[in-house]
Parts: sequence; structure tokens; C-alpha cells
Amino acid sequence: MSTTAEDGAWLLEARSVSRRFGGLLAVDGVDLAVRRGSVHGLIGPNGAGKTTLLNLVAGVYRVSSGMLRFGARDITQHSTAKRARAGIRRTFQNLKLFGEMSALENVAIGLHAQMRAGFFDAVLSTPRHRREERSIRGQSMAVLHFVGLAGLAHVRAGALAYGHRRLLEIARAIVARPTLLLLDEPAAGLNVTEAAHVSDLIARIRHDGTTVILVEHHMDVVMRVCDEITVLNYGRRLAHGTPGQIQEDPGVIEAYLGRSGENQSAQA
Amino acid sequence: MRPVTLLVVAALIVLPWIDPDKFALHILSLIAIASIAAMGLQVLLGYSGQLSIGQAAFYGIGAYTSALLTAKLAVPFPLALIGAGAAAAIASLLMVPITRLTGAYLAVATLGFSIIVYLFIQNEEWLTGGSYGFIGIPRAELFGYVLRDAMSSYYLNVGVAAIVYFTFARIEGSRFGRAINAIRQDADAARASGIGVTLLKSECFVIAAFVAGLAGSLYAHEVRYLAPNDFTFWKSIELLIMVVIGGVGSLAGAILGAAVVVGLPEYLRAIGDYRMLVFGAILIATMLFGEGGLAALFATLGRRVAAVSMRSASKLPPGNEAAR
Repeated sequence: MSTTAEDGAWLLEARSVSRRFGGLLAVDGVDLAVRRGSVHGLIGPNGAGKTTLLNLVAGVYRVSSGMLRFGARDITQHSTAKRARAGIRRTFQNLKLFGEMSALENVAIGLHAQMRAGFFDAVLSTPRHRREERSIRGQSMAVLHFVGLAGLAHVRAGALAYGHRRLLEIARAIVARPTLLLLDEPAAGLNVTEAAHVSDLIARIRHDGTTVILVEHHMDVVMRVCDEITVLNYGRRLAHGTPGQIQEDPGVIEAYLGRSGENQSAQA
Repeated sequence: MRPVTLLVVAALIVLPWIDPDKFALHILSLIAIASIAAMGLQVLLGYSGQLSIGQAAFYGIGAYTSALLTAKLAVPFPLALIGAGAAAAIASLLMVPITRLTGAYLAVATLGFSIIVYLFIQNEEWLTGGSYGFIGIPRAELFGYVLRDAMSSYYLNVGVAAIVYFTFARIEGSRFGRAINAIRQDADAARASGIGVTLLKSECFVIAAFVAGLAGSLYAHEVRYLAPNDFTFWKSIELLIMVVIGGVGSLAGAILGAAVVVGLPEYLRAIGDYRMLVFGAILIATMLFGEGGLAALFATLGRRVAAVSMRSASKLPPGNEAAR
């Protein structure tokens, strides 16, 4: 970790970020460095602060202390929308789709910041409006193809099957080709086949040049797609390393499986 | 343009020749005026999801601005009309800080604003005539032609309502329309897609206020007398009832709602003082039978009729065979 953001190896750096909710320190002085072009896993037991950390990166919450650097920019004080426009997009653990809109329209929302047409462009049907609508349609359909939902483009998002809704969230988040994609448990509630499809999808998103931070409980997904993993426990960073290193880290094994001594005595 | 829309437009154009009853045309003018303000509220509430119970404030600002401009400053009517919309829109910028509020808090803040505007109209007699009312408002006039009869003012009011309708109809399926729909359905997800939620919500307030101002101006020149009581809390509630009865989210619904709320008491004089009671009952019934309001009801009826006619059409071939 001798390199800094300035020379481009790290896309995102969180320096000892904390977030306090009343008396609870949900995230406690965590350092996180995400390598450009990598898939970075964020794991830990329930309540470890993974989603809170993700929300701090997305700008849903502001840090109580610490700082966030995205590329060469200090984004600590930026709003969610501003971070989204700068190229940080996300999915939500509890699916936040626009239920009354079609799948295609949901994806089109992801392109909002890429376009300029406003109220008067729509009313007067200006060339800009027409040009942008064509472009939105083309890009949105392409992304629906990419995630495997092309056939469902005109179905209302609220009427889609659960697995399809998970994919639609990802489609909406990647349509603008973000620099950094935050995936909050994209495989939650999916069966083994569907989870494998999501792993494959993450690998393809990364291949297209998007850096990914992945919060996930499906360990097979995490171990398959992540280059590096940060383990959180009680809001602190417990370990950091490659999947191989993490699987052998005694501290991590203890946090996940309980004390190794207890396990041994239970087996005896 | 859809066949139904075309049919309605044609009917509205020929109607004064079929039945040139002055009273009926005046009522239709009032319905058109109310529907303009209601369509604005539809964009605000039905599209962007912001509940305002203070639209009467912008309606009132538009009405008095237009009255003052034409009666006191001799400004030509078309300019006064635009000026009324602009004055209401500028006043709505005061709402920008409160667009961060949602739900009941937002509604109460808009109510507060409308009370302030009402008190201003009531108390600033030197400007508005106070509770004596504002008299001597000239007739509307277009390109040197004074709209003296009910028929020409009918065309003015319905014409402006039609322009507002076709303008707002364009919002659907546009970047702006999708974005404000997204804000209504999930503001967090909208933000995460880079949508500037506060700015767009404010734009909706300004748009709704602008057309409420236009409606106020048209009203001023239609009735030619303004009193503070036309712009109380009840006017805001009436506009809200129009939107809800007509169907939240439906532009045509706002017009249907305006027709019911303005038209019904005029034709059922008997209900007079009980009209709010009747609307209350209709409102509850609307809520019970589905949130789509009259617009959804008509759409369902239309689909049923279409389905029945399709079925009878498909039954024809076997019938023909039997005849042979």
C-alpha cells in the first residue's frame, strides 16, 4: 500500500472513516483502498457495518469523521446525486426499483445524468430531446441485453420476478458506465444458478472496465469474483487481503465460526 | 392524437354553435379555468408526488396580478395573462426551501403559504381592495378584439386549457417526466441515479404555480370581480379534490375532476351549501372504489366495451355458418 490515489492505482480511498448513529459506532475508523479495475469484496458478520460503509461511499450518509477520496477528488462532502454524476453508482440490498415504470424506463433513469433535455425540450420536442431519447433507448436496450432481460423490456418493474428485479437493479446502475459500482448483496435471495449468473455478470462488468465493491453473503460468489477482500467486524476492519489470504486468516475464521478452541472441544 | 382526444377537441369546438346558451358557456369557461389549475396540481402531485394544499395562493396571485395590470396599468390582456403566470411562478420560488420537506410537512407548509397570501389579499386594501373586492376588471382582449360575449371568452378559456393539456401531455415519456416519476416512486433510488431531486421538485412547483397563475388571470377576466374569499383554503382543497376524484396521475382526470367539482353544484343548485358534503362523499367513494378516480373508471369501461364488441365480432363467423 505504498501507492497513493494520485498515481492512479487506487480508485477509492477511505481514510479512517467513522459513522456514529446516536450511541452506536456503526463504522469505526475503517481504512479501505480499492484498486482501479478490481472487484473488492466487503464481508463480515451481520451488523458488521458493511452496508453502512457502502452508504458512506455512496453518500447516503456523511462520515462522522475521516475522509473519502475518489480518483483525485475529495468527495467527503459530496451529495449522493453528485457522486452518482461523478461515476459512483449502486444497487440496493432491498431493491429500490421504480415499480410503476417498465424495465426499460427504469434503466433509462440510470442515464438521466448523461443527458440534458429538460421540460421545454420535451414540450417542444426539440432535436436534442429526440436525439437523446434515441440514444437512451439504444443504450438501455443494450444493457438489458447485457444482463439478460431484453425480452422483458416493456414489463412493469413491479411485475417482474424477484431474480429479474435483482438484475434490473444492476442494469440501471451500470447503464451509464460508472467508474465505480457498489453492489449491495446482489445475490441475496437467489438460488445457486441465479447466483452463478450474477457472479458471471460481475466478472463481465469488471471486464468492461468498471471497478466493483461487492457486499455479499454468498461466499462462493465472493471467493469467485473478488480480487481483494476487506473483512469488517463490529464496525472495524478485521482483515484485508486476497481471497486465499482471507480464507486462512485465523481472526476471520474466529469471527465467522466462533472461537477455534470451542469448535475443537465441540468436535472432541 | 388519440381518437378520443380528437373527438373531445372537435366537440369542444362545435359545442357553442349547437348550444349557444350563455350560462352553459360561462360554466364551461369556469370548468376550463379550474382544470388549468388542476392540471398544474396534477403535475405536482400526480407526477412528482408533492402534496400541495396551497395552490389557491398562486391562483390568487395570478388573479390579482392580472386585475392590477389591466385595470390600473392598462397593460394589454395577453401580457397580463403571461405576467400573472410569471408572478405566481416567481412567488413559488419561495417554496424552494420547503421542497426538501415531504408528505404532511410539505402539505402544511404550502397551507401556511396560502394563508399568508390570503391575509395579504384581505388586508392590503390599497392594492387589492381588501374585503370590498376588486372591481372594474376589463374584459379579456386579444389583438384589439374585445371578448364581449360568452362564446368568445369560452374559446379563450378552453383554448388556454387545451394548450396546457397538450403541453403537459408531452411530459410523459420524456427525460423530465421519467425523472419526476422516479422521484415520486423512490427518491433515494432517484438520487443514486444522479437526479437532482430538490431542483426537479422545485421546477414542478414553478410549473404548477405558473399555470395556476394563468388560471387566476382567466378567472379574473371571466367574472371581472375578485374577492378574497375566492382564494381561501377551500379553493386549494377544491383543486385537490378535482385531482383526486379525476384520478391522481391522469391529466385527463384533472379535467374530469374540474368538470365534476365546478359543474355539479351549478346544475344541482339544490345541493348548494351542501356541496362540500357531496364532494366529501364522492371523495370517499372514489377512494373506496380504487385510487384511479374517474379517469381509471372510464378507461376500465372503455376496455370492457371494447372486449364485449370484440367478443361479439368473433362470434359472427359461426353465426354466418349457421345461417348458411
